[in-house]
Amino acid sequence: MKLGMVIDLDRCIGCRTCMVVCKSHNAQPPGTWWNRVFTPGSPEHQVPALQKGEPQMYFLPVACQMCENPPCQKVCPVGATYTDDQGRVEVDLERCIGCRYCLAACPYQVRQFNWEDPKKAKGKAGYVEGYEYGYPFPHRDKNGRLVYIPNRPKGVVEKCTFCVQYTDNGEKPICVQACPARARFFGDLDDPHSEINEILRQRQAFRLKEELGTRPKVFYLPPTSPRK
Amino acid sequence: MKKQGFKLTRRQFLKASAVATALAGAAASPAYFMPASGAQEEKSPQVKFVRSVCSPNCTGACGIKAMVVNGQIKALFPTDDYPEPLYGPRGCLRGLSYTNLIYGPDRLKRPLIRTGPRGSGQFREASWEEALDYVASHLKEIAAKYGPESIGFSFQVGGTGHVQKGAWIALSTLAGWTLFHPYDKNGDLPMFWPQTFGVQTEELEPLEWLNSKYIAVFGSNILVTRLVDSEFLIQARNRGAKFVVFDPNYCVTAAKADEWVQLKPGSDAALALGIARIIIEEKLYDEEFIKTYTDLPLLVRLDTKRRLRAGEVKGLEPPQDLPPYREAFVAYNGNFLVVHPENLGLPRDVMLEGEREVELKDGQKVKVKPIFQLLKEHLKTYTLEYVEKETGVAKEVVERLAREMATTKPLHVIYGASNYQWYHGDLKGRALALLPVLTGNLGRPGAGISTYAGQYRIRFHVKEWWFPKPPRWTPWLYFLHGPTKTMTAPYPQNGFKALIFGWGNPFDQHNMANRLREKAENGDLELIVALDYQMTTSCRYSDVVLPVATWYEKVELVTTPLHPYMQLQQPAIEPLFESRSELWIAREIAKRLDPQFEAHFFPGLEEREAAEKVIELLLKTGGPPVEGITLERLKKGPVRLKSEVPGNRQIPFYEQVNFRKPFPPVSLPASLEATARFVKSGRIEFYREEEGFLSQGEALPVHKPPFEESEYVLNPEAKEKYQFVFLTRNSLYRVHSTHSNNIWMNELQDNRPKIFLNPEDAAQKGIKNGDLIEAYNDRGRVRGWAVLDPGLSRKVVVFEQGWWSQYLKGDSYNSLTYPFIKPTHEIYFVPGIWAPNTAWNETLCDVRKVAEEK
Repeated sequence: MKLGMVIDLDRCIGCRTCMVVCKSHNAQPPGTWWNRVFTPGSPEHQVPALQKGEPQMYFLPVACQMCENPPCQKVCPVGATYTDDQGRVEVDLERCIGCRYCLAACPYQVRQFNWEDPKKAKGKAGYVEGYEYGYPFPHRDKNGRLVYIPNRPKGVVEKCTFCVQYTDNGEKPICVQACPARARFFGDLDDPHSEINEILRQRQAFRLKEELGTRPKVFYLPPTSPRK
Repeated sequence: MKKQGFKLTRRQFLKASAVATALAGAAASPAYFMPASGAQEEKSPQVKFVRSVCSPNCTGACGIKAMVVNGQIKALFPTDDYPEPLYGPRGCLRGLSYTNLIYGPDRLKRPLIRTGPRGSGQFREASWEEALDYVASHLKEIAAKYGPESIGFSFQVGGTGHVQKGAWIALSTLAGWTLFHPYDKNGDLPMFWPQTFGVQTEELEPLEWLNSKYIAVFGSNILVTRLVDSEFLIQARNRGAKFVVFDPNYCVTAAKADEWVQLKPGSDAALALGIARIIIEEKLYDEEFIKTYTDLPLLVRLDTKRRLRAGEVKGLEPPQDLPPYREAFVAYNGNFLVVHPENLGLPRDVMLEGEREVELKDGQKVKVKPIFQLLKEHLKTYTLEYVEKETGVAKEVVERLAREMATTKPLHVIYGASNYQWYHGDLKGRALALLPVLTGNLGRPGAGISTYAGQYRIRFHVKEWWFPKPPRWTPWLYFLHGPTKTMTAPYPQNGFKALIFGWGNPFDQHNMANRLREKAENGDLELIVALDYQMTTSCRYSDVVLPVATWYEKVELVTTPLHPYMQLQQPAIEPLFESRSELWIAREIAKRLDPQFEAHFFPGLEEREAAEKVIELLLKTGGPPVEGITLERLKKGPVRLKSEVPGNRQIPFYEQVNFRKPFPPVSLPASLEATARFVKSGRIEFYREEEGFLSQGEALPVHKPPFEESEYVLNPEAKEKYQFVFLTRNSLYRVHSTHSNNIWMNELQDNRPKIFLNPEDAAQKGIKNGDLIEAYNDRGRVRGWAVLDPGLSRKVVVFEQGWWSQYLKGDSYNSLTYPFIKPTHEIYFVPGIWAPNTAWNETLCDVRKVAEEK
């Protein structure tokens, strides 16, 4: 099994719902976003950039690209970043030593570092006493490696896990479940009959920074241009 | 367990790994379970999922599933359980981060009584007993001194909360208070609807968008404000419908369209009338349709400008026994014909063009013309040259669009609030309504004109719960503006002396020209009571703050115009701290005001049980739309309401067009008698003969440039002094002012309010990206950080409304706006249907750089 994702930029309306559910379900502290949505070419989201004098915009969600040839995994000195048997690139939170080589190596800049104890960081936001958000249970892979816990300790690196706590139970990542535009598709790239392979056969897709040879398992369908 | 794991050293960890594996299995199995569908389902003692409904004033009414662990909502899941899958998944960035509000720092814990000056935010905690007694005794005093009608109750979006909101509406009627209708207060009431169709507002359900072949969006950023339904629009486009956005500004919706037509702010009517002229001159209209369903064949007397009545004409007799809201007019097909107002349809050869002389009963001979003829003459002035000058849209584009729109069917016009929240917004709607009506695009799948702003729609009979006594209403604008000589709505003899509000934040959102704050600060309002779950700006201005339960903590019955499903809010958790449902609070106040009032509120029942009893009552007495719907069914998931359309689809005027029932369909909760008098002919009316319309030159739809009858009348110098239009649009990150304090939404905006303007305007003002600037006029100001947006029109300043005052250094963006009242909106009064309507965009300002405060 090789899990992958297709994001249809024609359908994507840049609403950032995927960013927010990712943050909430994965208990990310203030300032941390595993998943981000940009308006390429514009410093301000949902504000157009000029193309040949005409305003234009489209939106680009970017989280971990789940590379088949992941630079982050190669540079990890302790083997904390690894690819599991479903093709997901994960971080073993108990093994990470916080050297941040992977942050430098990732060409997509999707890895985040816990500079602060996340519990403290969340505390500053002033939630009512005793409240903690996010999927509340630790999650280990079948070899017992800890790949999700609501409060990752200070000094470790974290990133999108393809919602390992959900996908291990056969559910889709929360960004896929919650995309109001149904712009995200998720499934097994090894299965020729999967929905995502069907889409990839029918539509022209691209991957980010393909020239680097990272071979992401996240594919994008280009936005359509206006049919005047 | 997890903590121990992190305290282990690497060596210890390796030793412990076998144990860890065993633990992993143990942790994973009870941890996560997704029920296939439906409501409350408890599969493990630790985790449960409860389906509730998100119901702020975006009116999206999205089903949301709360994941509850040990009595806390840990995460919110979208729902995808609608019988038509395209309605799912529902839930957006705001609704799915609502946990930040439930458990956020501004959550109210206990009743509060003010100790400092109003607005200071100084309160002391009080017991419920004390707070309720305080409120009730002050209300009694004020009612005795000034009359109970001097107490105003303000709420929002009734249709999204029939039980809890209904409780306070009911209490208001029992106690004789005045209600403020949210629909006109919010400026969401598009007055062209009652003026043209005799209804409050209508719309196609989004599923019908897929049946359209041409979708013309005027002034609606629907892919932001209705983002959960974006899939319908993009699919419709991808299936071949042409999707055109008419907007002064390049917005997200424009970015997804086939074509963006940039027009000058406030010029939509000129464009629509220019298109209508081409449709008429090139005979692209649907002749049978306009003869059957519209007033265009009716004759107008040229001497009085009034329609010719059957009773006036020699030899004609009006039909007997017409109800008082109907009138028989006259058409001509070689003979003068009585047009029966309850039977649509006229002979095919009825005259649309020309002039005739008619002999009246008194022997007088007068000249008459069909309304179509008058319209055709009137439209002659909307030449391509004039339209280009007024709108900025090139002549050939106007011509092409007119032919495309007239010949591509079904045509659907989406008429947005940024289009009509202007002084002359009604004229734009009347002009735009010509496009689908002239071309016969109405009452059919994928065809028509729709407004998706505001929750106006009451879908079933609510009288038994809402109106134990007849309600009394005053439009909010009179509260801010004071009474006018021309008003037809009631106004309390002694003015308004107390304000109670819930489900809203009027001190940010309805503080036009700063008048609401002034009324609080100068003591004009002797009592202000807030019902809320968070410490908003408005709570700060209140004397008593009553903490209420959120929509994951109580029972409520929800509908919306945006989809045809009835849904339940179900409690996922206990109300936090001492918060209570509004129904309980209403019952407690009722008891204190008059022991007899309490009987209406199911005394003796626990508040959730009482709420369920209310739902059963509403379902029993709600009439045909809710037939067969039970509380038990609603607990399992969304249930589609019944309609007269096959498949219970929501297609406006289906019965009128397909079964030739006279216009209008009823607009609940008003009676047919109240609204049918707006279209006495029983037809779609483009001609308005009331004196108010005639004297304003608005008998037929006309383009009037913005500001000339508003800002320039108020202050002639404004024309020179303030040349920027101040547009307060909806933000992606808020629902009006809800989520203003949502930490994640604010991170996504760099924690900064922003002011958007065109780069060329910015350059002239010496403003750079990221500068702190202010938009201001003689009435007020608001500050924000500049964003240069090349998609904006020139001379436009955009501020995203909804920021709480505390994020704006105490300023209010509504200090710039003004409560203008348009006289034609005062001719009739039916609350929320024909009433003076807030025109947020009718505001001029200037913009300048300001120094950042340390």
